[in-house]
Amino acid sequence: MARDTTIGASFGGARLNELEIQAVVRVGNKNAWRRTLTFWNESIPKCCWTTLHPPFYIFLTWKGAVNAMKINSLISCARSLLLAAGLSVAGVAAASEAVVSADWLVAHLDDPNVRVVEVSVEPGKFERAHIPGAVNFRWHTELVDPVRRDIAPREQWEQLLSTAGIGPDTTVVLYGDNNNWFAAWGAWIFRYYGHADVKLLDGGRNKWEADRRPLSNRPARHAATEYRVSSTQPALRARLADVLAVVEGERQAKLLDIRSPAEFEGRIFAPPGVQELAIRAGHVPGAKNVPWGSVVRDDGTFKSTDELRALYAGIGIDGSEPVIVYCRIGERSAHSWFVLSQILGYDAVQYDGSWTEYGNSVGVPISNPAGTVWGGT
Amino acid sequence: MVPAALVVGIVLFALQLDGVAGLGRDPVFTVLAGAAFGILLQRSRFCFFCILRELFEERDARGALGILVALAVGSLGYLVVLQPWLPDPGVGRLPPDAHIGPVSWVLVAGGLSFGLGMVLSGSCISAHFYRLGEGSTLSPFALLGAVAGFMLGFLSWNSLYVGTLSTAPVVWLPAMLGYGGAATLQAGLLLALALVLLLRVRWPETADASATGAPPTPATLARRVFVERWPTWLGGFGIGLLGFLAYLRTEPLGVTAELGSRARTLAEQLGWVQGRLPGLDGFAGCATVVIDALVTPNGVFILALVAGALAAGVASGNFRPRNYPWHRYPLALLGGVLMGWGAMVALGCTVGVLLSGISAFAVSGWVFAAATTVAVWAGLAANRWRASWPWAEQARIQ
Repeated sequence: MARDTTIGASFGGARLNELEIQAVVRVGNKNAWRRTLTFWNESIPKCCWTTLHPPFYIFLTWKGAVNAMKINSLISCARSLLLAAGLSVAGVAAASEAVVSADWLVAHLDDPNVRVVEVSVEPGKFERAHIPGAVNFRWHTELVDPVRRDIAPREQWEQLLSTAGIGPDTTVVLYGDNNNWFAAWGAWIFRYYGHADVKLLDGGRNKWEADRRPLSNRPARHAATEYRVSSTQPALRARLADVLAVVEGERQAKLLDIRSPAEFEGRIFAPPGVQELAIRAGHVPGAKNVPWGSVVRDDGTFKSTDELRALYAGIGIDGSEPVIVYCRIGERSAHSWFVLSQILGYDAVQYDGSWTEYGNSVGVPISNPAGTVWGGT
Repeated sequence: MVPAALVVGIVLFALQLDGVAGLGRDPVFTVLAGAAFGILLQRSRFCFFCILRELFEERDARGALGILVALAVGSLGYLVVLQPWLPDPGVGRLPPDAHIGPVSWVLVAGGLSFGLGMVLSGSCISAHFYRLGEGSTLSPFALLGAVAGFMLGFLSWNSLYVGTLSTAPVVWLPAMLGYGGAATLQAGLLLALALVLLLRVRWPETADASATGAPPTPATLARRVFVERWPTWLGGFGIGLLGFLAYLRTEPLGVTAELGSRARTLAEQLGWVQGRLPGLDGFAGCATVVIDALVTPNGVFILALVAGALAAGVASGNFRPRNYPWHRYPLALLGGVLMGWGAMVALGCTVGVLLSGISAFAVSGWVFAAATTVAVWAGLAANRWRASWPWAEQARIQ
């Protein structure tokens, strides 16, 4: 088993209109060569994606070692396999591909193609102890534009990833505290800027610590790369105009509000002490409420795919229509976006302006069941 | 064997907290560090006010040198920790939760107020905590006063923040000079102060058992460890070490976070302080938040501090609750109020701002230290001038 050589390919799609083909040549336990191609094609009909799951794999394994020449010919064989596959096979990405377990990560900590990224809320947590080899992304200054309200600008993003030693083929595993809520935003930004392989660590930082897994306080040194964004996916991001189009019936989509029920109903503007306020209370008309914490168990791990499907089906979200997810400032909604789009494979987009934009916008329709009036009386 | 039982009890309690949520990053370490801190403070009588009083009135520099040792050891330890955490200090970011605060006249005012409060109440806040372990009847009044002082601080915070603090510079030496430059400058300052103390201040003759030439017996050693006052340099060394270990493991040393947070919670419940205090959470220091939990990390630290000091106090025979002249109690209360206000606007006290701040190469630590020292000197001078005050002669708190 140690020196067996395997050539394999998988065909899967993570979301609507996308086909992902991965080809790999493994020698023993190490990937000698791996490539992922993502095809984005608006004309691929939706029906193809939902009929086949899990991803379709082909593997051929040679027992025993093969020499370098053989490996090279295998690689070229795999390349043609990739090209020949084309767009004829479709599938829905398996849930396990988007979320990795701690055991998987422990086994891959030394894999040079895997980069672990921490995005935690509390400063000082990463410095004092982090998963060995992890790099730190700071949400407030590196994942958003600190001056104007926007996601990280492209140049800043490329610089960040280059310093972290991330390449276009790197498997990025994100984790953080608070059930990965900031890490999920990071995952969304990775996908927005077209990075192919993005995963979340199940249970995040808290579970890793609770399971007493190894931690390090040594800074990780990775060789810098020259990361360039090859393609942006603006379809993953909803703007105010898109949400208004849904509200006014010009566009068909479901709206998902993942804030607490008290905020959803308009009983409060925001939890006490929070400075992310709006001039109006309530929710976007037509939105449904599934608080973001209900997709994880007590230990922070995601619930099973079936449970998640049932949870969202209960409020009418079953993947048949696109979903727009929002919260207060859009960073927790990335967590639910991740569940919907990466785990369940639904067509979901993030509305990162969220309630602080919608609830403060002049002239937009609002549903306010509790009838709370800003300013009183 | 009450002290032994206490220590065992503290350790067992610490181990019970392993894995308990809501008590900070490492509750076991917090409890053990708190107990160690309490023991160090009590055994070496490491009170900033008492040390300064010994320096100014008795010309005894040993205590002040102990403070300098604490700062030197703490700085070295922080340097070791900071360099990997923030390899490029000029990048514009501060090290996470190090006590580096804004420098402005508010800080100076806070330091002066704190120093004056120390003179009136007889100790700094951390010393009042350890004196609780010695059975001091004054310290509860001083700490109560501190709570009131914190509330006054919260009332004055908004105007201070909007007027001054929001634009005050947060000066961190390595950001301007690099780690090497900052370390050199700070070492130079500490060395200069040490030289001044060594050369210009008389050392009192210490009657030492070893002066007789006989090797110390176990009984003598036991007495020196458990009963006699530890040399302040030893206490300073231990405190500096503890300070950097605390920063490495959990958070910088500080004793006012719990006090201030309880004060803030109380003020909110009484309706005196409403809503948010702008900018307070953005500054690094002994953070004061509204709490509804039974205990917080700093609360556990303080409890362990008092318990450790109690153990050390009982073992050394210093546990002596006694009655002071009646007028000392309201003075202690007033001093506590001044200390509370000063600690609130300065975002910490002598431990949080002076010790943890200077160790982190913050200019705010030095400014606070200077202001406090000036206030203590002025207070003591006024005290001497009003020599008719009866408590001045009885202020021998060892």
